[in-house]
Amino acid sequence: MTYRTQLFQYHEKASRLTDFAGFQMPLWYESIVSECLAVRNGVGVFDISHMGRIFITGPDAERFLNYLTTNNVEALKPNHAQYTLVCNWEGGIKDDLVIMKLDGQEYLVICNAGNRRKDLSWLQTNSEGYNVNLREVSDEVAMISIQGPKAAHTVQRLLEDDLSTMVRFDCKYVEIAGSKCVLSRTGYTGEDGFEVCVLDASISNPANALKIWNMTLEAGEEYGLKPCGLGARDVLRLEAGMCLYGRDITESTDPLEARLEFVVKFEKGDFIGKEAILKRKEAGIKKRRVGLRMVGRGIPREMNRILKNGEVIGTVTSGTYSPILNVGIAMGYVPAEYSDIGEKVDIEIHGKPIEAEVVSFPFYDTKLYGLKRLQ
Amino acid sequence: MVKEVLKVEEYDIPKSLYYTKDHEWLRLDGENCVIGVTDYAQKTLHEVVFVDLPERGRKISKAESLGTVESVKAVSDYFAPVSGEIVDVNDILSSKPDLINKSPYGEGWIAIIKPSNLEAELKDLMDSKGYSQYLKSLIEK
Repeated sequence: MTYRTQLFQYHEKASRLTDFAGFQMPLWYESIVSECLAVRNGVGVFDISHMGRIFITGPDAERFLNYLTTNNVEALKPNHAQYTLVCNWEGGIKDDLVIMKLDGQEYLVICNAGNRRKDLSWLQTNSEGYNVNLREVSDEVAMISIQGPKAAHTVQRLLEDDLSTMVRFDCKYVEIAGSKCVLSRTGYTGEDGFEVCVLDASISNPANALKIWNMTLEAGEEYGLKPCGLGARDVLRLEAGMCLYGRDITESTDPLEARLEFVVKFEKGDFIGKEAILKRKEAGIKKRRVGLRMVGRGIPREMNRILKNGEVIGTVTSGTYSPILNVGIAMGYVPAEYSDIGEKVDIEIHGKPIEAEVVSFPFYDTKLYGLKRLQ
Repeated sequence: MVKEVLKVEEYDIPKSLYYTKDHEWLRLDGENCVIGVTDYAQKTLHEVVFVDLPERGRKISKAESLGTVESVKAVSDYFAPVSGEIVDVNDILSSKPDLINKSPYGEGWIAIIKPSNLEAELKDLMDSKGYSQYLKSLIEK
């Protein structure tokens, strides 16, 4: 079964399509490199309707989510969102999520496309004893991501509310072109950006989604806006040092090994996976996710072996060519003793060991690219 | 140089060249052979961001992998159309790999081979007509 998003009608005409998590999605429209540069220098827009969306409501919503996820949901203010993880009982990562708190009893959870069913059934299974209602709305709600230093300028043209009052990770209900939407200042490119959930935009009646998509294309035209595909999305998130579920993090990944400790709040009370993660933390973390920048020539790819003095010490989980750095970059896992910044390793590319260096995330200079340069 | 060109859909196929099933082209240049990848190969890969060049002086056999041509998402090996020795490579591709997209049959050439068994091996290559038919059959699939 192949799934299509609400915006398929547009992609089919304008892009090179690819299969991703069972969805027919745009790989690129014009080219991956030009789309990446549009997001770093101006603005780009992505269809992310393939991701999952679940409304979680009811008097126990906060307590329920706090037990199911690793970040502290109690600390989340209304109209604010947080990045978090769902772990299994062994403390492996089931998914990485964004939770938006719309009010004390209403949350919107965004999950990965490939994990839609798995997450819903995990939430349902563990909801016993909680007064909560789970409503999966992925097929009724479209989702558009507008990213780049000119994202705010572009989105501002779509609505009357003043966007300057919204800070990073704020979210709220808005109206765009007569459609009720949830707008959040979030994204997964390292840049400033917004994500729009178009609430009344079903697969069978996608008119509202198409309308807002086309309005966005027009609103960003003067900033050089380009529609961007999954190819650019993958490069941008890797340049920013962000994990891709299924590759960089999986059910057998420890959040601490993955350097996601900043969203694991041991002090908040009990949550699924806490005990197992804590046990490993106390025993000492043996390997770490690292950023690798090629010193020699070559483009690292997923599954390439990482070597130290000829011995295999790890595996690349994501690798690509970075258009802004004009060099191959990767992330992968290595033993903790080789994870320090500046450590030299080799990556085996087409059978040859090529030198790479452990660097910090993000890969780019934050004075030139990314969210921080705007602040 | 490249003058007359056949077309299969949007793909250029110069008449004066020889072709392999893996989409390399070969041009006879005195006693040497210039090689590169075809217009179809570069369009299928899309924007080329990296070319792994073979070493000068390397002895190679026909159909041996010489290196890779890579776009952001895809990696493709390219193979020796004939046996011989690599006598020159197009170093400019190291800093300007997109020449393969801009000029696959011209500035985007990859290497020059001094062939060791040209007469026999040339018979295994396709001419422009043969490659056109081969491309058509690939596209129909």
